[in-house]
Amino acid sequence: MLYKNKFKKRKGDSIMKKHLRLLAVCLGIAVLAAGCGNSGQAQEASKGQEGTSQDAAGQDGAAQADSAGGEAVTLNIAYQYGLAYAPLSIVKEQELIEKAYEEATGDQVKVTWNQMSSGADINTGISAGSIDAGFMGVGPAVTGVTKGVGYKIFTNLSGQEHGMMSNDENIKSFDDLIGSSNQIALVNIGSFQHILLAMALENAGHDPHALDSNIVAMAHPDGMAALESGNVSCHLTSSPYIFKEREEGNLHEIQDVADAWGVDGSFIVGVASEKMHDDNPELYQVLCGAIKEAVDFMNESPEEAAKITCEFDGNSEADELAYIQKSKYSIETSGVFELASFMARTEFIENAPKAYEDLVFDNVTGD
Amino acid sequence: MEEKKRRMHALVARAVFVVALLGIWEYVAKSGMMGEKSELIFPSLEVIADAFIKNFVQGFAGMSLWVYIGNSMRLLLEGLLLGIVLAFLLSGLSMVSKTFYDICNLVISVFDLLPGVALLPVVIIIFGVKPGVIVFLVVHAVLWPMARNVLDGFLAVPQIYIEAGMNMGLKGVSLLWGVYIPAATSYIVSGLKVGWARAWRGLISAEMIFGVASCPGIGLYINQMRTNMNNAEMYATLVVIIIIGLVVQYGVLSPIEKCTVKKWGMSR
Repeated sequence: MLYKNKFKKRKGDSIMKKHLRLLAVCLGIAVLAAGCGNSGQAQEASKGQEGTSQDAAGQDGAAQADSAGGEAVTLNIAYQYGLAYAPLSIVKEQELIEKAYEEATGDQVKVTWNQMSSGADINTGISAGSIDAGFMGVGPAVTGVTKGVGYKIFTNLSGQEHGMMSNDENIKSFDDLIGSSNQIALVNIGSFQHILLAMALENAGHDPHALDSNIVAMAHPDGMAALESGNVSCHLTSSPYIFKEREEGNLHEIQDVADAWGVDGSFIVGVASEKMHDDNPELYQVLCGAIKEAVDFMNESPEEAAKITCEFDGNSEADELAYIQKSKYSIETSGVFELASFMARTEFIENAPKAYEDLVFDNVTGD
Repeated sequence: MEEKKRRMHALVARAVFVVALLGIWEYVAKSGMMGEKSELIFPSLEVIADAFIKNFVQGFAGMSLWVYIGNSMRLLLEGLLLGIVLAFLLSGLSMVSKTFYDICNLVISVFDLLPGVALLPVVIIIFGVKPGVIVFLVVHAVLWPMARNVLDGFLAVPQIYIEAGMNMGLKGVSLLWGVYIPAATSYIVSGLKVGWARAWRGLISAEMIFGVASCPGIGLYINQMRTNMNNAEMYATLVVIIIIGLVVQYGVLSPIEKCTVKKWGMSR
């Protein structure tokens, strides 16, 4: 009885208190949200300051900074891992962008390199404005451009060999796979490798999506392990994994895939945000120039390039050199529009690009 | 009466909270706080609602989201059941045999720390590439926290209950069934809650990394939407995940709690 009375009395106050508390929680969330917005701005502002002080250290930095609206000159680049990205190791190691930018404008530029794990992540980063330029497979790049992420292709980077290996003697062509329960490991559904499979199927006169339900999405090294241990019957992969698998005696290749898209076709391309292209044309030019310089260097002196890049790719120098020589590094795109049209026709993307020019900036050459 | 008022209050508080949260989301989406491409990466509620419907009507690759949910739930249930049975088996045997208890304790401590997806390469080599791998990862996610909870529950059973049970002639399995399990119910129920949440999360993350296209699940669907930059559809799928979580929480776990530990006065 006594307890009950006490309880009731407390309850009267506590409802009041609870309402207040609820209000406080709501307010707290609102403040938190506003805080996030503000802190973003604050960061912007501090970046601006950093830029000015850096510019002041330059020759005629103050004037430059004023003309640029007090914004810091920074460049955030996102890239991925592997041999196909080798020229970027050169750009990064030799600070080609920093040097060229200083030469061109007399200012400093702060380049940040972010290694990310998929083109989809880079797409989100660019559309959020936290990344200015990125390097990814031509598949995700076409998806991003046609989805209106706000970037275009500014350079080609490399072409690589791709292929599909099998560990089952009975699998000689697509006819042995279609309708069977044999599994094909590839890196991701909707990835470049998946598009390649569809292309090869179409070339062989099949439905491009005939093998979709046989796919198992696995990272390249996992796929290779699964193929070698016999857990999947096929693995569709790119260099250097395809080179390693071709050397193994008990595996054989399904030739259609390698024929569908060779080393000459674009594989990795660079994309740059339209904002960067429009707002800072000098930096854009410098970026294009730096990639060209690195690509030329890779082609002219692959031995020296291998010395620099082998560390990043985790290969021995001799292997790295062999792989580089089997790759094609070029700034000229090849087959991008053809690929985009194929992707639209086979429903990998929703919006078909009308022309090559819709996909790339003006300076890019190729098709 | 008091009880009814209290429940009403909880309902209002939750509703206000959710509406406030949605309001903030909508404000952020509409104000363009997330930069120029705000619409694409931080879609507003209407767009997400449209995408929600589109997920079920249109789906992806000709399959509605229902198919993906069905596949995921099937794998989840298999894993969950297997995990719960194994958890009882492990903790039950530990109560019966001292040696088993010592080993089991170590095994639980070690494996509870390992994230399932980190085990994926090993699992693929051992089990091959089939939906069974996902079931294995779900079992891994449920088993250890559940076994830990049940074991703790058994250890917390007062000695006097056990002695009373023994005096009545119970021993071994009958002691376990007659005394340990009823006395440890509150631990078991909380183990179920933790196990369910871990299983659900483990399932989605496993599906996101390891996609078997012949048995596509919700995680694969999310990945698909991310790859194609269909962010509104992705957020809508996250809403689906939340809804399923809530349905299980309030539709399955809460009633179990009410019928057992709350009814018996073990917890409030």
